[in-house]
Amino acid sequence: MTPRRTRFYLDKQNAKFLGVCAGVADYTGIDVLLVRVGFMLLNFATGFFGGFGLVAYFVVAWLADKKPHELDYEDREDRKFWQKVRARPGASIRDVRSSFRDIDRRLADVEMHITSQNRRLADEIEALR
Amino acid sequence: MDEVIIPIGICGMLFIGLPWLIFHYVTQWKKNSSLTIEDENLLDELHALARRLEDRMSTIERIVAADSPSFRPTLRSSRDEEFDLGSRTEQREMQTSRPRRRDH
Repeated sequence: MTPRRTRFYLDKQNAKFLGVCAGVADYTGIDVLLVRVGFMLLNFATGFFGGFGLVAYFVVAWLADKKPHELDYEDREDRKFWQKVRARPGASIRDVRSSFRDIDRRLADVEMHITSQNRRLADEIEALR
Repeated sequence: MDEVIIPIGICGMLFIGLPWLIFHYVTQWKKNSSLTIEDENLLDELHALARRLEDRMSTIERIVAADSPSFRPTLRSSRDEEFDLGSRTEQREMQTSRPRRRDH
């Protein structure tokens, strides 16, 4: 199976126990502490519900692969981007497009500046002749 | 009369309403997250490309701004302000705040 950005993985690097909660936090972008506390609260609130939550935890830990190293994020921005892709792919594609447009606009500004400056320089040289 | 209607209503909600609700959200979720692996690789590439270009653009803007003070880089779109904690943004802020101050 090829590693994919949009699949759920166990996050062994930030794991406290088996990395399920850290994986959920990494997948969704919710804070890892919040995920852990929420998971424990849910377990306590249901009175462990015949150990259902714990069984689910171990089943997930058993079924999911741990995260391959080629999917490590470069930095925070990268992480945020992929979390957004998982939540709303369409929106993140539009984001990439808007950043290309931004670059295009800035490049046009620089081009405009440089060409107009050269025009002035050329005029001055012309005047000196 | 009530004894008949209430169980029917509850059964209806339980066996029709609930699956309907669940399948509604399942289909919506499927529709939403239908990135194929090619799409995903393409998006990865485009994202990396956009970031590289943005870095280069910042460098060029800095060079041009240092070369001729009349040039002022236009302010970034508001999307970039979310990532204010990265080290890259510090240069960016230096670069954008200078022309801003000149306005006043």
